Amino acid sequence: MFNRDFWSEIFMVLKRNKLRTILTGFAISWGIFMLIILLSAGNGLKNGVTSNFADRIQNTYHIWASFTELPYKGHKANRYIMLNNKDIQLLETLYQVEEVSPVLSQGGTLIFGEKSKPVSMEGVKPIYKNIEGIKMLEGRFINENDMKNKMKVVVIDNSTSNELMRINGVPTMIGKTVFINGLSFTVVGVFKGQPWGDFGQCYAPYSTAQALYNVNQYYEITFITRGLNTKEDNEAFQKELKTKLAALHEFSPDDKRAVWIDSQMVNALETNRIFNTISVFIWVIGIAMLISGVVGVSNIMRITVKERTNEIGIRKALGAKPRSILLSIVMESLVITTIFGYIGLFCGMGVMEIVNMVLKTGEVATGEGEMSVFVNPTVDIRIVAFATLVLIISGVAAGFAPAWKSVKVKPIEAMNYR
Amino acid sequence: MIKLKNINKTYFGAQPLHVLKGIDLDVAEGELVSIMGASGSGKSTLLNILGILDNYDEGDYYLAGKLVKNLSENQAAEFRNKLIGFIFQSFNLIPFKTALENVALPLFYQGVNRKKRNMMAMEYLERFGLKDWAEHYPNELSGGQKQRVSIARALVTSPKIILADEPTGALDSKTSAEVMQILREVNATGITMVIVTHERGIANLTRKIVHLKDGIIESIEENDPDKMDFTKEIK
Repeated sequence: MFNRDFWSEIFMVLKRNKLRTILTGFAISWGIFMLIILLSAGNGLKNGVTSNFADRIQNTYHIWASFTELPYKGHKANRYIMLNNKDIQLLETLYQVEEVSPVLSQGGTLIFGEKSKPVSMEGVKPIYKNIEGIKMLEGRFINENDMKNKMKVVVIDNSTSNELMRINGVPTMIGKTVFINGLSFTVVGVFKGQPWGDFGQCYAPYSTAQALYNVNQYYEITFITRGLNTKEDNEAFQKELKTKLAALHEFSPDDKRAVWIDSQMVNALETNRIFNTISVFIWVIGIAMLISGVVGVSNIMRITVKERTNEIGIRKALGAKPRSILLSIVMESLVITTIFGYIGLFCGMGVMEIVNMVLKTGEVATGEGEMSVFVNPTVDIRIVAFATLVLIISGVAAGFAPAWKSVKVKPIEAMNYR
Repeated sequence: MIKLKNINKTYFGAQPLHVLKGIDLDVAEGELVSIMGASGSGKSTLLNILGILDNYDEGDYYLAGKLVKNLSENQAAEFRNKLIGFIFQSFNLIPFKTALENVALPLFYQGVNRKKRNMMAMEYLERFGLKDWAEHYPNELSGGQKQRVSIARALVTSPKIILADEPTGALDSKTSAEVMQILREVNATGITMVIVTHERGIANLTRKIVHLKDGIIESIEENDPDKMDFTKEIK
């Protein structure tokens, strides 16, 4: 049945009506093209957003100092709750908490050679690298040894490092001694920083910073949890934590604002939910476009069959069986949809590959670690497979109704049709 | 070869039209029969029923000993393909196929392979002097050539009967005479032939003339075409 003659018959018919075939196919190509573009863009956005926290481990928490919302036990509302060492001790006693790193913030000025630069220095523990997903470009992060021996070492961000290297004409900052607020520190690493205006960022061992500045006030404490895998687990934990913090600082456990608790995992789950919604939306739009293409093909097939009524009648008179007529028309429709579908598919993928390439070269050129909202905007092979399936189904669907009609008509009626 | 018993056919439209009102007819193997009648007499309907292109309401139709009644589309297609060759007034060639491809088409539906198909088709085209026109499309051929192509197509499957519906209707008298000569030669090889015509001159070239009027057979006339000077008689 599906031999060379069968296919050559189909391609002959399609070639005979080039313009019509192309116009019909265009609707399908366009539908698939837009579907791929939309899906890729959606993917790109999702990848972009998730990549910004992909490097952080997800079971991380941040708590921030904040104002109270409600009056409580004689305290007025809008009282500022600062975090302190008791909070750290509290966290370390909770079995859900694996490891804590307070963030000891200290503004100051960094001086190296001729250059002085305003910096924000944060005293943190080694685990902080994982919590924040800090990418090291050179050297190392703070380690346990630094912590234990209260080493005066510092990790600086790449733009600060580049600036200092340029002005002082040195090939690397690793091993150099810099002065922060008049105290000397040795640079042990360079990390990929976020742009932060003119401010440099640097990290020092928490123990060193504590010894130098003797601080008992924190704006931010971070920690890693264990065993909290679902949204429900996290919500329960947050409630427990809030109650304990409330007792410690004497604010209402129902206060939504005092001490902000932020879970990376809950954020991630929330983000996923949003992107799933977006993706459903994209599919709906894409499929709707595809349907309009399929309706177009079906319409054209109807006209084609009508125009070919005579020919079909002749074929029947010569002994064509219904099945061969049905198959040839359905296959014709299928050939149009798949060929033009794939053209649209590959055009869409090609465009998105080019976009991807441009994005990548742009990233390399600027070199700065800016937040990317659009990463790898391409579709995977499963979507291609699915699109193929959709095309085949729609091709058959588009061709079947007109084909069935032509099979049902009596040969003599078909031959006399004008 | 053909046996019709009390064939009735009604077209149900806004006004039901009783086209055939009990046709009884026998055509023996190798006969050359013409069916004559005014337009509206039912002669084309009769031919369509003979060709299984249309169905009938009542009666029995035996073709080559088999009852042709309530056939499925598949069976009908097979009967048409194997037993019947059609020749039409308007040729009914497929416009986007060459003469050769048109002739080979019935063999395609028999599942004959391309090479053999084209070889057989070429043989028949050659027989009717169309070898040089094999690669031409129907719109590049004259009326006589087109009808010869369609005769070749009707014969290529070696059918038992040839049904011709006004085969000379679209041709001038000289080509008509040529086409009739060909059909007589084909009949002489033993193939049964039924020709529908409204031209006396054409009917005179057949051995049996069936006169049809208002859906019934009025008379059956025996005829000796060899007595006729057909080049003069025609038209």
